[in-house]
Amino acid sequence: MHGDGRQTRTMTPEPKRTNFRHVELAQKILDVAGERGMAPGERLAEQALASLCNVSRTPIRKALQILAERDLVTADAEGGYLLAIDPVATARLEDTAEGEGEGEIYAAILRDLSAGRIAENQTVAALQRRYDVSRQTVQNALMKLAEENLAERAAGQQWLLKHFAISGDAAAKSYEFRLATEPLALTLPEFKRDMPAITALRQSMLILRGMNETNFDRKLFDRTDYDFHLLIARSCGNPFMAEALTNHHRRRRASPPAGHVNAFRLMQSNIEHIQILEQIERGQMELAADLMRVHIQLSQSQRPRLAGRGVPPAFKLIAR
Amino acid sequence: MAPAKTIALFPEASYGAALNCVGIAQELRRLGHRPVFICHPGFSGVFAEYGFAEYQLTEADAAPTDWNDFIERHQDAFRQAPFDQLESYVGPTWEAIVDTAMRVEEPLRQLLGRLKPDAIVLDNVVMFPAIANAGVPWIRVVSCAETEIPDENVPPYLSGCGDNERAAWTAFADRYEKTVASAHRRFSAFLAECGLKAPTAPVFLGPSPWLNLLLAPDIIRHDRHAALDPRRFIFLDGCVRHEAPYTPPRFASHNEAPLVLTSFGSLGAMDVAMMKRMIAVFATLPCRFLVNAGHWREEYREVPDNVFIDSWFPQPSVVEQASLFIHHGGNNSFCEALYYGVPSLVMPYCWDGHDNAARAAETGVGRRLGRYDWSDTDLTAAIDGLLGDHEMQARLKANAAKMHKAAGVTRAAEEIVRVMSDASIGAGEASNA
Repeated sequence: MHGDGRQTRTMTPEPKRTNFRHVELAQKILDVAGERGMAPGERLAEQALASLCNVSRTPIRKALQILAERDLVTADAEGGYLLAIDPVATARLEDTAEGEGEGEIYAAILRDLSAGRIAENQTVAALQRRYDVSRQTVQNALMKLAEENLAERAAGQQWLLKHFAISGDAAAKSYEFRLATEPLALTLPEFKRDMPAITALRQSMLILRGMNETNFDRKLFDRTDYDFHLLIARSCGNPFMAEALTNHHRRRRASPPAGHVNAFRLMQSNIEHIQILEQIERGQMELAADLMRVHIQLSQSQRPRLAGRGVPPAFKLIAR
Repeated sequence: MAPAKTIALFPEASYGAALNCVGIAQELRRLGHRPVFICHPGFSGVFAEYGFAEYQLTEADAAPTDWNDFIERHQDAFRQAPFDQLESYVGPTWEAIVDTAMRVEEPLRQLLGRLKPDAIVLDNVVMFPAIANAGVPWIRVVSCAETEIPDENVPPYLSGCGDNERAAWTAFADRYEKTVASAHRRFSAFLAECGLKAPTAPVFLGPSPWLNLLLAPDIIRHDRHAALDPRRFIFLDGCVRHEAPYTPPRFASHNEAPLVLTSFGSLGAMDVAMMKRMIAVFATLPCRFLVNAGHWREEYREVPDNVFIDSWFPQPSVVEQASLFIHHGGNNSFCEALYYGVPSLVMPYCWDGHDNAARAAETGVGRRLGRYDWSDTDLTAAIDGLLGDHEMQARLKANAAKMHKAAGVTRAAEEIVRVMSDASIGAGEASNA
């Protein structure tokens, strides 16, 4: 990151920044509001949110401030906050916006690793030099990457960034992994349906179904896609399976998008999500698993990797 | 509304033709019809992504492919001048094209029998007897440069000659005819077996008696000696598909700088060493560079902060935002650059890329640079020159507005529908007679 003027910040205090944990909590508040069927204008009670999210009121207040800054809630004249949007029609909060301390460095490391700009083996000092930020900021970013299984401590001062997770082959390998696990998760004996979450999710999916190729809301789709697959992970009733799948989806969400997917395919994907969700609601878990198998296979791109006049056929790449 | 018609689109196995047909198919679908795609063996997956049914032709006796050999062979051929490529690349390619046409004939005939299309759109360089014998109108799309349709005033196809290089035209045309003679003889014999007469050598695909659609926009069109019949030949002024908007990635530097797209097509990406040489120059320039590395994306390490490499881009949506497009002169890429009013730096390596490179330079819509014949200074000067040429940019933007107004994909779809409608009226009149 040379020559973009950021070097001048080295010796000055870093600007006020948003803690990514508060952003996560802000998202959790929106999720809770969606699951409880809350509408715009309804009051968001700090104490109730604190107990629903299992945290104290102080972080809830900070999370509400973040939502207020993004016009998702409004301050009430009598104190507290009111919901300003329909939570099921709202995309996931961006927690990696520019100028937001460790969130920015976390995103920059992932971008640069994925783009082949930095190597897998790094030290805090080397990253400090590259991004021109404090040791603490780099350490926090690395901790966040480690939490998402995108980095791990190596020998001495080294950190190992997991390039395999975001390389060109990662998408194909991810589909292979999900094809082996997600249908299975749906058929585990202790799968437990989370009806409020399913209902909220279906609301969002139905909003998406009403859109067309030109006005399709990709960000809302990204949220429903993540929430849908995560819901299956955490509902499966087996903690080992739940952990493996949750980690995988979190990492998938954190990684820069691999390739470009057409709106048409995303619209189809949304319909497939709805169909699977309907079977889960009806308790038809074998059918849901079969539909999941189809869904994952249809999501894989089958474009030829090389084509041209006189080029022999059957030179294919499966990736996305 | 008239009942929906089934239109079978059969593009050749290249991204240019395939994606050009996607644009036409999107419009046919919008008009309420049912476009479906026939794919060459191995070339599937592209159309399904845009929501179209795909039917892949199968080859019963396809031999296994030695890819290392293929790549090695063509790496060298792509370094040669168009004249020398006749023997090393163009001749063998025509042999391969004729082989494919012969191998897919039976599966194609059977497939058309099952699909029962109301019309067939052929975007290819060779005739398939099953199409001529299908009993429904077929429409030819000329995805290549305008040079594919010969004329006394048009430089020979694949020659890379300019208008003012007439002295070289005859020598190239003679050598071309000799080079493809054997493939053409085999092709003629094959067509005769199918009850058809082959077009006169060295042509492998004659015009459709119903409709021929050409991409070439007015700004690069040749002044023909014999004008094409406007009832059967329609210039589309570009034919660009709809893609979802593209958000450029955040770069590690130069995020406000002009955006430059570099793409040589899936085949052109194979020369990683050449691409790396270009990227080293890009690192020194105040621009953001998007580079299509195709299948070889993982070969790149130590990528500069102002460069982003990927294996696929939704090209029209990227070109729309670019200030410069560096490409190989593939006709689809060239037309997309023109459609969005973006200057082209054409670095050709084969086929009609040579023709488009020459045409870009002589019509003032871009520049030509030899793919291998450049120094760092040459590449820098070409990029700087095009980014700084405000007169060219203004002219290109005005032309782009004309091309948008012409709405090539819509025109193509409407003309195809007209042909189907005329054919069914004709059939109705015949049966009433």
